[in-house]
Amino acid sequence: MSGYSKDQLIGQPFSKFFTDHDRAQAGIEKVLAEGGLSNYDLSVATKDGREIPVSYNATVLRDPDGRITGVLGSARDMTELKEAEKELRGAGAYNRSMIEASLDLLVTIDPDGKITDANSATEVATGCSREELIGMDFSDYFTEPEKAREAYQHVFQEGSIQECVLQIRHRDGHFIPVLYNASVYRDEAGEVIGAFAAARNITKVTEAADDLKHSVQDLSRSNDELEQFAYVASHDLQEPLRMVSSYVQLLEKRYKGKMDADADDFIEFAVDGANRMQVMINDLLSFSRIATRGEPFKPTDCENVFDRAISNLQTAIKESSTTVTHDPLPTVTADRGQLEQLFQNLIGNANKFCERRKSTPCINVSCERIEESAIPVTKSGIDNGWIFSVKDNGIGIEPDQVERIFGIFQRLHTREQYSGSGIGLSVCRKIVERHGGRIWVESEVGKGSTFFFTIPGEKNEE
Amino acid sequence: MTNKVLGPQGREIEILLVEDNPGDARLAKEGLKEAKIINNLYWVKDGEEAMSFLHKEGEYVDVPRPDVILLDLNLPKKDGREVLADIKNDEHLKRIPVVVLTASQSNDDIAKTYDLHANCYISKPLGLAEFIKVVDAIEGFWLTIVKLPPA
Repeated sequence: MSGYSKDQLIGQPFSKFFTDHDRAQAGIEKVLAEGGLSNYDLSVATKDGREIPVSYNATVLRDPDGRITGVLGSARDMTELKEAEKELRGAGAYNRSMIEASLDLLVTIDPDGKITDANSATEVATGCSREELIGMDFSDYFTEPEKAREAYQHVFQEGSIQECVLQIRHRDGHFIPVLYNASVYRDEAGEVIGAFAAARNITKVTEAADDLKHSVQDLSRSNDELEQFAYVASHDLQEPLRMVSSYVQLLEKRYKGKMDADADDFIEFAVDGANRMQVMINDLLSFSRIATRGEPFKPTDCENVFDRAISNLQTAIKESSTTVTHDPLPTVTADRGQLEQLFQNLIGNANKFCERRKSTPCINVSCERIEESAIPVTKSGIDNGWIFSVKDNGIGIEPDQVERIFGIFQRLHTREQYSGSGIGLSVCRKIVERHGGRIWVESEVGKGSTFFFTIPGEKNEE
Repeated sequence: MTNKVLGPQGREIEILLVEDNPGDARLAKEGLKEAKIINNLYWVKDGEEAMSFLHKEGEYVDVPRPDVILLDLNLPKKDGREVLADIKNDEHLKRIPVVVLTASQSNDDIAKTYDLHANCYISKPLGLAEFIKVVDAIEGFWLTIVKLPPA
């Protein structure tokens, strides 16, 4: 081992062959004084300058009278063991540094809920040192200790817990919302010896969620105010408008043809303007009533609703010789009157924009479950409920107009071509949105349009 | 105006209009001008005046008892609903038919006024033609068809 020959070794002082001569000498003295030693670490200095860690075991040799005659020493080469130890230390340091580097709060707890280890992120979040944390009850650091206790009990019973929201109470009193994931870990025999819990500081996420909640509340409030405003404005505007309209009509009735031609023209424009405004105010009023004067949702038979809508439209349908058909329609949870209005507006619209010259106008209403439909959720907006369609073979809509048609008082044609104030489809959208669904149209110019709308199903309806 | 006739009682019909809006009052007046039955329209602008008229108080000492009352609901001082309740709780007045003529289309108002024993409820129409139709209908029904109670 030393690289020296037997001849070179014999007769030399023992300590000469070790890196630490003094320690080697002390070893010999210890053997002589105590009669032996075991596992005494030394390093052999080899002839070619290397060092070999060894572990010495030695015992004294005595003659029959008990006098010491020599020492029997044996050394075991510890190189591999030392290397392994070094590696282990390195690995331990590596693991520890990983744990300490984590920005998530990492702790281990024993089955009694006592903290057995914690990383520096946990120290920062609690304001307590690792030494203070170890041995304390895990639940003590939370604003709701009972909930924390339930959480780790759950971990030891079920093996793990996911996304448990808790709030840490920092020593200085401020709170930190965290999201816990934890699972048990086991010894070599498979026995649960503790739980490893990792928590993420979700302060920013929570703040963002709160901001969002406030924004939604603000938006909803301003929306309510706007609806109220539209209602009050349109309602209260009716009164003065009634005066304008009535007296202009009275003027027309009494004085038409009695003044000059200009006067007749002026009166006619005034009457026409007042009439149109009256229609618009009325429409606006009924539009705002969708939100402010809606009825509660009840199970509603759509076949029945369809029949009523058709009966309201019968004069117009007869006039255009349109065939209106429908597939089996379900019972949905809805505001009955509004659903009738929705059907009536969509069918009435399809009937109005039918292509009379080319072919027989046809309108078909159908419905399927969203789950069974090929239409993606990104389009339907909901994943549970019904998807209705109203299909016609009418004039169709230009692709760049398909969004515009749902706006209030938006018209694609002149009043001379097609009558109406342009409120119908915005009423449809408002009704569908009040029910939590979506409405859209797919159309091809000259071939026809299909209006789709979705109505959510009851959560427990199956 | 030709072809004017007397009311079923063989005399002119007396109508009380309770209406705060002069525009509406004038429209009613214009409408009734064209009615077949010879009528006298009395116009008061609020609920208190209406009650004074009906009780023949102050300047109303010499007014006739109306055969029919056209009552707006939203009135200054004394509300139309209170006027209606007072009329229907008064032994001497409760037989006079009260036609509620109002801009309100609220279901609550409709139910409430019938609960107060209004004889009918009419929403003011938006256009003149409809308004005249309503006045004609009031005339045709309340002043011609209906047997009014003896004064």
